[in-house]
Amino acid sequence: MKIDLLQMVEVGGCSAKIPPEQLEEILKYLPLPEDPNILVDIDTHDDAGVYKVNDDLALVFTTDFFPPVCSDPYEFGQIAAANSISDVYAMGGRPVIALNIMMFPASKMPLEAYIDILRGGADMAATAGVRIIGGHTIDDNPPKYGLAVIGYVHPRRIITNAGARPGDSMILTKPVGTGVILAGQRLKMASEKDITEAKRIMKLLNNSGAEVMKKYDIRGATDVTGFGLAGHALKMAKASNVSITLNVKRVPLIGKTYDLVDQGCIPGAAFRNLEYAEPDTRFASDLDYNLKMIAFDAQTSGGLLICVPNDSKDKVISGLKKAGLDNSSIIGSVNDYEDRFLYLNN
Amino acid sequence: MRTIDTRGQQCPVPIIATKKALKETKTGEAFKVLADSLTTLNNLTRFLKDNKTEFSVEESAGVWTLTIKKGAGDFVQAEADDYFIPHFSRGEFVVAFTSDKMGTGDDELGNLLMVNFIKAIKELDVLPAKMVFYNRGIMLGKDDSHVIEHLREIEKMGVKLLLCATCVNFYSLAEKIHIGTLSNMYEIAQTMASATNVIKP
Repeated sequence: MKIDLLQMVEVGGCSAKIPPEQLEEILKYLPLPEDPNILVDIDTHDDAGVYKVNDDLALVFTTDFFPPVCSDPYEFGQIAAANSISDVYAMGGRPVIALNIMMFPASKMPLEAYIDILRGGADMAATAGVRIIGGHTIDDNPPKYGLAVIGYVHPRRIITNAGARPGDSMILTKPVGTGVILAGQRLKMASEKDITEAKRIMKLLNNSGAEVMKKYDIRGATDVTGFGLAGHALKMAKASNVSITLNVKRVPLIGKTYDLVDQGCIPGAAFRNLEYAEPDTRFASDLDYNLKMIAFDAQTSGGLLICVPNDSKDKVISGLKKAGLDNSSIIGSVNDYEDRFLYLNN
Repeated sequence: MRTIDTRGQQCPVPIIATKKALKETKTGEAFKVLADSLTTLNNLTRFLKDNKTEFSVEESAGVWTLTIKKGAGDFVQAEADDYFIPHFSRGEFVVAFTSDKMGTGDDELGNLLMVNFIKAIKELDVLPAKMVFYNRGIMLGKDDSHVIEHLREIEKMGVKLLLCATCVNFYSLAEKIHIGTLSNMYEIAQTMASATNVIKP
């Protein structure tokens, strides 16, 4: 029997995150631990926490898991693992070890799906050079999978949300639209070609982009996931106390993402992300509505959003393209803070 | 009045149905949308406000009824057809269509080859910078041409289509061509001269 994981979920991937403003509210009740060795914590809404071991080594520690984004269990495992590991790359780290986090309805699904999800995760981890050394499973429906990952980083070479500097160009390494295409897939509006492309994008590790970042000594970057391109840009702007302008027409899109949104295929997560960002965002009066919503589309295993000093932007772009990230584009710029954190222009 | 029932449906289905109805409704006319989830209501009102569409909401027994009026200014923003998708990489080469058939020989075969050629362009890793059409080549751009859908798609991918205006007038096709840009011989010559390669099917 062919197993279709999508039969079991309403929202998949990073669309299943809880709304960002709710998360911020909850985090207020949690005391931030004080420890001089904590180099990065949730204060800057970064992708992972960073803990200094000694002057030459810090650990990047992150976790991420979510319900299925595709029908095939093996592919779901690959995508979930690539997404989890991505946070380490976004912080400038090298992922080393990981634990599986799994929720699986053992009474409702054949165990081979369970094995296939883990196999997909293991294969992706192996590609990234990550050793999976354990894990934990809970009986729950629908299935959910991801990793907790530890990576190494040099304490003085951490890349964070707080590293955006006025004058930087913003470079994005993958096209966006996974949330839209996945919603379109559920409604049978998306083409096979676009679904395949979206899955290819989600399976693409951010390691090659991370190598380029290291080579050019980048200090500010994040990976684009559940809060959407604009949501993550806003988090960077806040953490760096700058204003970021995104030019939505320069954002590369997966296949017919634009047409799907034009037909009204706008996932609920995009509205949640828009609501969160709105008070801190200035929208150009002629901003294309569809592109605006695409900028808030929740991405699963999205690309790196990198802040690059102006004099090295061409070298970084060509480095990324040479590394196989053909869609890498300059999509915006960083300026001194003025009035709002985020500006969306055509 | 037309009523769209989105009860029991999840996002984005209600938005899709509303957008479709908006496109089908005449300016000044109204329709109703029923919703039974707060999320749907919030997303719909958000969508309508952002698109400057007039509407009112009434609630009764847990069901919201939105009355939506189509105004003149709705959806004046770029339609998908006008928008170029910056996802495809474009090269510096130009394709010149001098005939509506590919190669010389049997006409039927020539037509078939041309369809396949134009389809193949869409699949290229690197798209042409521009495509120029002159003499019988402009027949390919007619509204009823058998490749028109493919050409529209290529144009949407960001490839500029230049059609020889003299040729369009000569064949009296001004009413039948709605694709690309009409162009003069200077621009066509300039385009071909600045290309790295010119491909002629």
